[in-house]
Amino acid sequence: MTAPAATFRTCPVTTRRIHDQAESLVKINAVVSVVALLIGAIAAVLIVLTRWQAVHLLSATWFYRLLGVHGMSMLIFFIVFFEMAVLYFASTALINARLVAPKLAWFSFLLMLGGAVLVEAMMWGGKADVLFTSYVPLRASPAYYLGIILFAVGALIVTGIFFANLVVAKREKRYEGSLPLVVYGAVTAAIITVITLLHGAAIYIPTFLWSLGLMHVDPQVYRMVWWGLGHSSQQINVAAMVAIWYMLGGLTIGAVVLNEKISRSAFVLYVLFISMASAHHLLVDPGMGPAWKVVNTSYFMYMAVLASMIHGFTVPAGMELGMRLRGYTNGMFDWLRRAPWHDPGFSSLVLSVVVFGFVGGITGVTIGTEQINIIVHNTLRVPGHFHATVVSGTAMAFMGATYYLIPLVFQKRVAFWRMAQWQPYIFAGGMFIFTLSMTFAGSFGVPRRHWDITFSQAPFDVPFSPVVDLVLAVVAVGGLLAATGAFMFVAIAVASVFFGKPLGEITKGTAMVGVPQGITHPPVHAADVDARNAALHAPGRGIMGPAPGTIVLVFVFLAAFILYFFVNWKILSFVWKIG
Amino acid sequence: MHTETHTGLESPKGIWWKPAHKSEKVWVGIAFAWCMVLFAMMPLWHWKGGQNPSGIRRRVEPAAFFARTQEFIQQYQVDTDRGMPIVAPPPGSDIYLTGMSFQWTPILKLQKGAEYILHLSALDVNHGFSLYPINVNFQVIPGYDYGLRITPNASGDFRIICNEFCGIGHHTMVGRVIVEDAPATGTPGTGGTP
Amino acid sequence: MPDPVKPDEAAEQVPLGQRLFDNVFLLLGLGLLVVFVLYTGWGLWEILTLPQATLP
Repeated sequence: MTAPAATFRTCPVTTRRIHDQAESLVKINAVVSVVALLIGAIAAVLIVLTRWQAVHLLSATWFYRLLGVHGMSMLIFFIVFFEMAVLYFASTALINARLVAPKLAWFSFLLMLGGAVLVEAMMWGGKADVLFTSYVPLRASPAYYLGIILFAVGALIVTGIFFANLVVAKREKRYEGSLPLVVYGAVTAAIITVITLLHGAAIYIPTFLWSLGLMHVDPQVYRMVWWGLGHSSQQINVAAMVAIWYMLGGLTIGAVVLNEKISRSAFVLYVLFISMASAHHLLVDPGMGPAWKVVNTSYFMYMAVLASMIHGFTVPAGMELGMRLRGYTNGMFDWLRRAPWHDPGFSSLVLSVVVFGFVGGITGVTIGTEQINIIVHNTLRVPGHFHATVVSGTAMAFMGATYYLIPLVFQKRVAFWRMAQWQPYIFAGGMFIFTLSMTFAGSFGVPRRHWDITFSQAPFDVPFSPVVDLVLAVVAVGGLLAATGAFMFVAIAVASVFFGKPLGEITKGTAMVGVPQGITHPPVHAADVDARNAALHAPGRGIMGPAPGTIVLVFVFLAAFILYFFVNWKILSFVWKIG
Repeated sequence: MHTETHTGLESPKGIWWKPAHKSEKVWVGIAFAWCMVLFAMMPLWHWKGGQNPSGIRRRVEPAAFFARTQEFIQQYQVDTDRGMPIVAPPPGSDIYLTGMSFQWTPILKLQKGAEYILHLSALDVNHGFSLYPINVNFQVIPGYDYGLRITPNASGDFRIICNEFCGIGHHTMVGRVIVEDAPATGTPGTGGTP
Repeated sequence: MPDPVKPDEAAEQVPLGQRLFDNVFLLLGLGLLVVFVLYTGWGLWEILTLPQATLP
């Protein structure tokens, strides 16, 4: 089969065929995504400097306005534009395929861009002071809702193109056998995207009509359907992030897929059940009963948590086995010690896995428990949780992927290379401080989305403990550190893409400034890889199997999880009887 | 070969539907068991625990709910604080709290150890009921009556913070709940606080 | 325990599980079905069948 009228180049590093139109779309989506990140990060700095009560920078109006800008720019525009890049990349370059409908793809990009610009204009102009959630009957200008609809339609078309690319690739026999696991993760993300955007359409079209005075929208129905968009969109991130974990593991240290069946089962569990967790936001709502709450908040008996715990094992175990197959076989953790910690792709991967799992995952499952949510709902514990998932999990993984996309797709060297090697540690370190201290502040009942917890203009005083002031200062320090990491990333990405040195000739085995180690020193398994693999799986090695270090790590994780979960039940048992 | 030595970037050739290594199976089993514990805790707490968000959940006209709140205030008002009525309903009664931009009305005066059915609703937009400092939180939605059986277990002067963004004055929205020790001779369920 | 003998993959029938997992559109359909029935549909039914308050 020949691909009609498509021009390709062959990647000198991975030998894959890359369609120029697909590559342009990956580039443009990634660039817009970084611009959104910059807007969101500027808003973030102003917000943390306001919640730090000693500084209290913004006026109330601008605080709430920029909180909306921050949410929309980060959770929707930064992440979804990047995901569009991931979908194009996974459905073309990774399987040697072509982009089937370039014109439609550019049209949908323009729709998304137009929608995003309209939404930003409305928010900055004070026409949509309704925050990210825009709970009806808070009212924004109709153009705000229209902008979101345009953006969502564009994204839905891209998802359609993604599936079409896969179908055509299969028909044109661009790949043999099943889709690579990384692409399978992207498929998972794409399916959740469809679920998300259908909920988006189901709620934003009526809300747009409501804003024009043409129909009624019930506030509880709005909350229920809206979170089918608002929370599921963050589950797209989870799936895309896990796909990137597998990708970065392979690129940086030759991580292998431990068992395709197990890893794919985990993705299938995501497809089937993860979107039900939109109920996390509705656990103390009056509209739905306990049966609905329990079944939905638990992703049908925690099947999506099972999936994440599987990935949480198979990703590090695949990395461990990959390292062992390359000869790093000493002891439990030699593979980890001798990993390329100065490769920002690798450090991003590890930091993303660790903070997502230990902070984001454990807090998320715990506070998403029906009854525990009573002591959590709308306190700072909620943003404490989701910054650990979306920021130090997803955004960190996307940044790590970018360090490889710059040489592989943009064919440029990574600018400010020393800074790039530090960036993941600063970003993740800042976020680690930020999320833990925010969670701690929330356990005192400090509300989220609140301009002034000294309540200086309120009729009654609310005497928060002085500890809270200190903790909020720590939140600000962590937030500023993380924002510094985000600005470093933006500077690196912009300088590399627009002003960077061309990649040039790569000599395998020779380190180059601005090129991650996984490209200059592609991880190669030992020549007798099958024999080594068989030996590592031999029954004589017992239950610890091929990845003993990972087994130790996952049990540390499980112990932390169990402890945190039951401590929260204990705290809940002390409050007033409620039922 | 029953295991793979390819990365996630490569297509697995042929059949990959194969059993996993024992260590992986054991972890999946343990994770599954833990998920069942996570799940079981919720029904268990409904059965044995003291804190559940079930409540009495109803649909209501915002204006009707506000009118009922006003009636409730007239019935049991004992005092005012900064122009806000203080209401002391008898133990065991249905009590009403309306959230509106940007206040909670009325101020409730309750007895420690007595059960009340606290009805929450909003007049205009979504509000968040957050009882400070004990940190109990519920969503308050216009058009819905959320009736929660509550039993204060400590006396004190509590605050209700609004923790759902309800407009630019959101941070000024604070209400008050006073819990007093039960009178030494009083039998709960008979008559109001003087 | 896994089969230690390398199977002749070309000759072997692809297992049902693998065929189902490879069917992207089946997964898409099931994913939509589960969430729209258990979350959205059931949720709407819960909200819309709430009785009117009596405000005792």
